[in-house]
Amino acid sequence: MTEQTDIPRDDDVLAAELVLGLASDKDVIDGRRRMSTDAAFAGQVVFWQERLTAMTDGIDPVKPPARVKKKLLAQVFPKTRVSVLQRVWLWQGVSMASLLFAGYLGVQLLEMNTRPGTQPTVLAAQLVSDTSGLQVLAVVEPVKHEIALRRISGEVIPNRVFELWAILPDQAPVSLGVLPDSETVRVLVPEALRSQAAQFTLAISDEPIGGSPTGAPTGAVLAAGSMTEL
Amino acid sequence: MDRSEIENLIARVALKDRAAFDQLYDRVSAKLFGVCLRVLNKRAAAEDAMQDTFVKIWKNADRYSANGLSPMTWLITIARNTSIDRLRARKKGHQDIDTPGFELIAPGLNPEQAVVAASEASRLSGCLDTLEEDRGKAIRGAYLDGETYADLADRFGVPLNTMRTWLRRGLIALRECMSQ
Repeated sequence: MTEQTDIPRDDDVLAAELVLGLASDKDVIDGRRRMSTDAAFAGQVVFWQERLTAMTDGIDPVKPPARVKKKLLAQVFPKTRVSVLQRVWLWQGVSMASLLFAGYLGVQLLEMNTRPGTQPTVLAAQLVSDTSGLQVLAVVEPVKHEIALRRISGEVIPNRVFELWAILPDQAPVSLGVLPDSETVRVLVPEALRSQAAQFTLAISDEPIGGSPTGAPTGAVLAAGSMTEL
Repeated sequence: MDRSEIENLIARVALKDRAAFDQLYDRVSAKLFGVCLRVLNKRAAAEDAMQDTFVKIWKNADRYSANGLSPMTWLITIARNTSIDRLRARKKGHQDIDTPGFELIAPGLNPEQAVVAASEASRLSGCLDTLEEDRGKAIRGAYLDGETYADLADRFGVPLNTMRTWLRRGLIALRECMSQ
């Protein structure tokens, strides 16, 4: 890689070689490292990228076949898992539901359920709404006192958050916290509430960033559901 | 193509907005598929490359931010690099050239540079044509066909060092022509 050439290669030529894919493996590794620390060099790379991408200007768009989009969406948003869970919503057959939830919760619950002599109660709830489109599945993991939540559909409104509430009969809702914007999340049940988890109604409300400023839900209730024993 | 519209969609995809991803696909997939087809020249391979491209876009959209790199340049670069990696994948010891978003770790171009880059880019085609014929062909071969220095040296029947020197001279001439 150190062959003599009669023109010294300056940084700008190296930047162009990186963009073209002509740089040696070692240059690629060094170049990437440099780009993250050397803004001027990174700028040169970006500049060449902008210039050379013009080579694609003359390439005509070609409409890809519909199956590509189908395959892509199936890969990025795996639907099979969702549809299995959707079937679980019908709560048909405790054993099948437990099995599927075991898969959903991960290995721990599966191990618990298959350990001879132990059959802990599994509590689950489906949080739904007629209007918001938000659908969340919740399962209480009895050993860790965690509620595992999986969002099946619905999106957070920009600059708003979901807040999860546990509601016991005739009591004010207790916040279980603001939910991160991820498909699955685990929430610890406060110690004082653990023995009453079977009576929970879980609800998700729409709140400003940081959560309800008052300690009680301030926005619309987007989905709610009560616990079922599996 | 409306730059701010694409930028907006990418920003929403960064927040994992599925509807935005769907729209971005409808908006740019034909151009990206054209690029994949141009590089790979085979429909099945181009379809796979484009699927990979969009998976990378979904995963890395948060690394793109409006900082001077045109959104189409970012998207096309991912499609082109993904295609070239596929083309070269059979070769032993091949190191992928594609790291989507990587080029954006450092602050990108300021708005003034972005304008200069865009105007230089508009002169690329004309400037490539003013280069000595073989040099223009070699640069196009590297960019659009993923040819390496070794491939190019073979094609033009010159020693590797000569090829490097040639192409580097070509790049310098190209830069001079575009910046005029």
